[in-house]
Amino acid sequence: MHHMLHIKNGIVIDPKNGVKAEKMDIFVKDGKIVEEGEISKNEAKVIDASNKLVVAGGVDMHAHIAGSKINTGRTMRPEEMRVVRLIANKFRTAVGRVLLTSPAIGYEYAKMGYTSAFEAAQPPIGALHTHEELDSIPMVDKAALPVFGNWHFVLKYVAEKDMEKLKAFIAWAIERTKGFGVKVVNPGGVEAWMYGGNVSSLDDQVPGFNVTPREIITSLVKATEELQLNHSVHLHCNRLGVPGNYETTVESIKLVDGIKNDSRQVLHVTHVQFNAYAGDSWRTVASGAEAIAKTVNAMDNVTIDMGQPIFGHATAMTGDAPFQFTLHRLTGSRWSNKDSEIEGGAGIVPIAYLPKNPVHALQWAIGLELGLLTDSDKVVLTTDYPNGGPFTEYPYIMAMLMSKKMREGELERVSPFVQKASNLPAIDVEKSLEEVIHMTRSLPARVLGLPNKGHLGVGADADIAIYDLNPLEVDTSNDFEKIYKAFKTAVYTIKDGNILVKDGEMVDEYWGKTYWVDARGKADMEAIKDDLNEFFSKYYTVELQNYGVEERWLKKPERIVI
Amino acid sequence: MAETVNVVCTFCGSVCDDGQFDTEKFKSKKLCKLGSSKFSEKERIKAPMVDGKEVSYEEAIEKAAEILVNAKKPLLYGWASTVNEAIRLGVILTEKVGGVYDQCASVCHAPGTLAVIEEGLPGGTLGAIKNRADVVVFWGANPMEAHPRHGMRYSISAKGLLIKDRKQRKVIVVDVRPTKTAKLADEFIQIKPGYDYPIISALRAIISGNADAVPDEVGGVSKEKLIELAETMKNAKYGAVLYGLGVTQSRGRDRNIENAVKLIQLLNRHTRWVIWPMRGHYNVVGAGEVPAWEVGYQYAIDFSRGYPRFSPAEFSAVEVLKRRDCDAALIISSDPVAHFPRAAVKHLKEIPVIQIDPFPNMTTLVANVVIPSAIAGIEAEGTAYRMDGIPLRVKKVVESKYWSDEQILERLLEKVEELKR
Amino acid sequence: MRLIIIKPKTEFVVTVEAEITPDLAEKNVEEIKRFKVYYGKDRVELGELFEVTKEGDDKKLVLDGDFSRVKWIGCRMSDGEIVVKGNVGANCGAYMAGGKITIEGNADDWLGAEMRDGEIVVKGNAGNLIGCAYYGNATGMSGGKIVIEGNAGNYIGEKMSGGEIEIKGNAGDFIGTEMKGGTIIIHGSCGFVGGDMKAGEIKIGGEFELVPTFVMQEGTWVGDVNVKGEGIVRKL
Repeated sequence: MHHMLHIKNGIVIDPKNGVKAEKMDIFVKDGKIVEEGEISKNEAKVIDASNKLVVAGGVDMHAHIAGSKINTGRTMRPEEMRVVRLIANKFRTAVGRVLLTSPAIGYEYAKMGYTSAFEAAQPPIGALHTHEELDSIPMVDKAALPVFGNWHFVLKYVAEKDMEKLKAFIAWAIERTKGFGVKVVNPGGVEAWMYGGNVSSLDDQVPGFNVTPREIITSLVKATEELQLNHSVHLHCNRLGVPGNYETTVESIKLVDGIKNDSRQVLHVTHVQFNAYAGDSWRTVASGAEAIAKTVNAMDNVTIDMGQPIFGHATAMTGDAPFQFTLHRLTGSRWSNKDSEIEGGAGIVPIAYLPKNPVHALQWAIGLELGLLTDSDKVVLTTDYPNGGPFTEYPYIMAMLMSKKMREGELERVSPFVQKASNLPAIDVEKSLEEVIHMTRSLPARVLGLPNKGHLGVGADADIAIYDLNPLEVDTSNDFEKIYKAFKTAVYTIKDGNILVKDGEMVDEYWGKTYWVDARGKADMEAIKDDLNEFFSKYYTVELQNYGVEERWLKKPERIVI
Repeated sequence: MAETVNVVCTFCGSVCDDGQFDTEKFKSKKLCKLGSSKFSEKERIKAPMVDGKEVSYEEAIEKAAEILVNAKKPLLYGWASTVNEAIRLGVILTEKVGGVYDQCASVCHAPGTLAVIEEGLPGGTLGAIKNRADVVVFWGANPMEAHPRHGMRYSISAKGLLIKDRKQRKVIVVDVRPTKTAKLADEFIQIKPGYDYPIISALRAIISGNADAVPDEVGGVSKEKLIELAETMKNAKYGAVLYGLGVTQSRGRDRNIENAVKLIQLLNRHTRWVIWPMRGHYNVVGAGEVPAWEVGYQYAIDFSRGYPRFSPAEFSAVEVLKRRDCDAALIISSDPVAHFPRAAVKHLKEIPVIQIDPFPNMTTLVANVVIPSAIAGIEAEGTAYRMDGIPLRVKKVVESKYWSDEQILERLLEKVEELKR
Repeated sequence: MRLIIIKPKTEFVVTVEAEITPDLAEKNVEEIKRFKVYYGKDRVELGELFEVTKEGDDKKLVLDGDFSRVKWIGCRMSDGEIVVKGNVGANCGAYMAGGKITIEGNADDWLGAEMRDGEIVVKGNAGNLIGCAYYGNATGMSGGKIVIEGNAGNYIGEKMSGGEIEIKGNAGDFIGTEMKGGTIIIHGSCGFVGGDMKAGEIKIGGEFELVPTFVMQEGTWVGDVNVKGEGIVRKL
C-alpha cells in the first residue's frame, strides 16, 4: 500500500470541477485527493497515465447487491451460479452469470472502475442481513436504502398528517437499519397486495388506512427535506410494469413542483424505464419516455435513473410484491414472495430479455430514450441490477448513449416493433464523453448527497479509475467498440488511494466503508416512543429492544451526522 | 452481580427473543421446555483434546489445520447451531481446503430448497402470518412438540392486526397421525403416509376447476373432504401453509414441496396464500443463507476444483460419507454419529474427525481432535436467522473460558493459510 | 490401434472425476496418461491413477475394473464407444451428444442427465435421476436412448423432452415428472407416475401409481390436467 500517489500526465475529465479532458496530474495522500504541494515526489508512487483517461471511480446509486432478495434469487437460480469467474487462490472464488456472489460483486465493480455501490431496497426488519452481505462485498464503499412506502408507521402518520412523528420515525428507522435514505416502493400498493390487490392511481385508498399514494409520497418528501437527509426520497413509482403507467410517473414527478433544495433534487425517480409505458395493453404498448423526459427537463428538482435492460438473462427482484406476482403470471416462471411483518413485501421472478421479443425490445429502447432525451444533469445510468440485467454492461450503455451509429447497428437485430412503438430510431442525440462520465460519477454522487464522491477535486476521496482511452483522440460516434472495451476493464482502479486493479487484473483486496445517516438530532425522538412500544407489542414478532443493527456489528461503518 | 437479562433463544427455528435469563442461577424464564434446557447448566467438553489427551486451543487448532490441509477431500459439516459469523468463516475455510461444505438442512429441510429452485418460495414472515392469516395449515408439522411457542407467538393463537381472537383463525392440521398440534386444530385431516404429492395434485385440480378428474379418494382422504379443504383455502383472506419434516422427509420429498408451491401459486390467483417451512435448528437458515451469498449455494457444496459446485446427490454429508467420498471431517455443533445412517457413521469412524462443540455427544467419541466452544446466545454473540429469515442477534450474557466458534474458526483459517504457504 | 484400456491402479481414497470420452482414443498413450483428472482437490494425470494400454482399431475406451468411484465418464461425448466392465460413478454420460456407453455393472445417480443423443446401456441396476435436468435447468434428456436391464431408482426422466428410457426391471418413484416429450418404458413396477406431465408417453408393464389428475380417454390415461397436459400413460 502506498499512502501517496502521483498520477502523471493523464487526460482528466472531472465534470463537477469543470475539467474537460485536460492533461493534468492528480495527487493522492492518505486516501484523499490533495494539492501537489501536499505530497513528497520521491516518496509517492508514480502512475504513468499518459494518453489515458483519468476519472473519479464510478458510483452505482441503484443496484440490488445485498440482502434477502438477491440471496433468495441466488438460491432459486443455481443455473446462474454455474458461471465461474474466478478460482480460489489469492482472491476468493467468484461465480455468477448475472446474479453474482458477494465477492464477485465487489470484484466486478472494481474491475470496471466502480468504487461505490448502493443497495437500493433494504427491508427494514432484514437490515442486519443486508449489512452482513454488504460486509461480504469487497473493494467498494456501500450503503443501503431502507424501504418506507408501505410501512404501517408511515401510513399512520401520513393519515394523521403528523409530520413531527413522521420525521422522528424516519430518523429512528434510518438509525435502526443503519440505512442511508428514504426508499419508497409502490407506495400503498404493497399494502393492498396483502389483500390480493394493488393500487392503480395516485388517488386510490390504501386498504385499512385513510391515505393515498399521493399523500404518502408528498409527506415523505416533505419529511425528508425537513430532516435535510443527504439523499432525497428515492421513488419506485406506482403501477410499475403496466402499459399506460407513464402518466402516473409524470404525475408523481409533478408532485414535488415548487419544493426546493439548493444542493440536490428533492425527488429521485428510479429505474424509470419500467414506469415509462404508453398504451393500454401489451398489444398497444408504446414508449412514454418522451413525456417523462420533458417533465423532468422542465423541472429543476427531480432526477431519474434509467433502469436499462440488457439483452440476456436477468432476475426481477423488487419490493413491489404485487408486480412480481403479475410478472410470474405473465411469464409462468418461478416466483418468490415475502410479505414482511407490517413493513411491506418483496418478490423475485427470473426473466430473460430477448431482442426479438417486441416488448423486451421496446423496454430496451425506452431505457435508451430516457438516457438520451433527459438532460445529462438529471439522468443516472443504471440497469437496476439485476432487474434490467448485469451492471457489468454499463460500458455498453455508455457507448450506446454516445454513438448513433452503434444504436443503428443494434436496432437491426431487435424486433421491428421498436420502430413504431418508440422514437429511438429517430433520436440523433449523441452524449459526449464528459456527459456519460457525469452520469456515472459526479451526478449519482450529487444525487446521493456524497460531496466527497464522484469527482477529483482536492478533498475528494481518492477513488479513481484510469481507462485505456485518450479522450482527445477518440471519436465517440464511431469508436464505440473501443469505448466499450475501454470502460469494461480499468487500467487502474484506485480506492481510498489503494491500487486494487492494474491492467484489468485485481492486485489487492480491500474493504470499503458502509455509510449510514444519523438524523436523530433533527427530530423529536420522544414523540414516537409510545407508538413504537404499542406497534411492537401488538404487530411485531420481535422485541423492540432486539430490532435493528448496532454500529459495532458492522465491519467499517461511516456515520454521517446531520 | 446477579441480574436478569433479555436473551434470544438458540434452540429451535422460532428464535424467541423475549427470553429472560438469570445469569447467576443460570436459569431462564418465559422460554419453553426445549429453550429452558438449552439455557441451563449442562455437561461441557472440558478442554481441547487431541487423540484423547488434553491440549491447548493452539495445539488442537494446529492439529485440526494439518488434518484439513492434508486431506484430499475433507467434509465440513454442521453449522445450523452456530452464528453467521462462524458460518462465513467455515465457508471460506472449506473453500481454502478444497473440501465439501454441508449443513444440517441436508437431512431435514433441504428438499424445500430444491423446491425453491424449481418453483420459488411464495412466503411471508411470521409477523405477516400472526397479523393476517385467517387460515393456517400445518402440513406434516407438529409445532407443539418441535416449536412449542410457535403457535402462541406466531401462528395458532397469536393475535395481530386483523386477527384479534383465536376464533378468527381456522387452524387445520394435515398429518399421518393425530399429533399434539392436531388436538389444538379446528380440523385434522389424516392422510395415508407417502401420499402428500397426489393429495396436493388433487387439490390443485379441484381449485382450477378440474374436480371431475379427481377420483373418489386420494391418499386416504375422500374427494368430498378434499373439495371442502379446497373451498376453505379459496375462501381464506390470507392463508398460510406451514410444512414440516413430515413432508420433506417422506416419500416425494422436494417434489411434495414443489407441488405445494404450485398450489400456493394457484391460490394467489384467487386470494392471498403463503407457504413456509418450519425450520428446525435455530440458525439452520443462516447455515444456508451465508454460503448462498459467499459462493452461490445453500448446502452440498464441493470446492475440490477451487470453485463451488452444488449437487445434493453427490455432496450431501450422508451421500459423501456413505460413498466414502471424504478422507477427513470437521463437525461443528452437530452430532452425525447419533443421527446419520449406519453406513455413513461407519466411514466417520475410519477417517480423522475434528469436532467443534460446546457439549460432548456421540460424535465426540469418534473425534480425533475435540475443540470445545462457547455457547452461542449465552457465552458468545452473533447473528442468527429465524425460520422466516428474520435476522436476530443472539447475545453474550455470561463470561466464559471457552473460545467462541468464530474465534476458533478464525484461528483455524489462519493456521490453514500458514500451512498452505 | 485405437482401443484404449484403462484400469484403476488402486482403490481410490475419494472419488475421481474423469471427464474421459472416446476422443482419447485419438491420442497416443503418453498423451492419454497426461490427461488431467480430479482426485479430491488434487488435479492429477490419468496415468497416476490408472494403467493405460492401447490396442485394437476402434474409437473405443474399455474401462476395466471398478469405476464406481469415478464420476463424469463419457460426459459430453459425441461419438465412439465406452465399455465399462464394472460399476460406474455418478453423472456418467451427462450431456452426451452421441456414441454409445455400455456399463456391465451398475450405474450411480444422474446417468445420462440432459443427454441429447447416443445410447447408454446398463446391464445391472441404475440409481436415481436418470435422464433428468440438473437443478435450475428447464429440460432433461432431449434425445438418444437409455436402457437399464435391471432396476432403477427414483426420479426418472424428469423434464425430459425427447428420446427414450427403457427399464427392464422395476423403477422407483416419480417417473416422468414434468415430462415434455419422449418415451419412458418400464417393464416392471414403479411408484408415482406422471406428475405435471405435459407431453410424451409412459408405458408400464407392472403395477404403478398414477397421480390422480389424469383422465381416461380411449383406454389410455391423458394428463396431467393441472398443466393442461397431453401426456399419455398406458399399460405396456
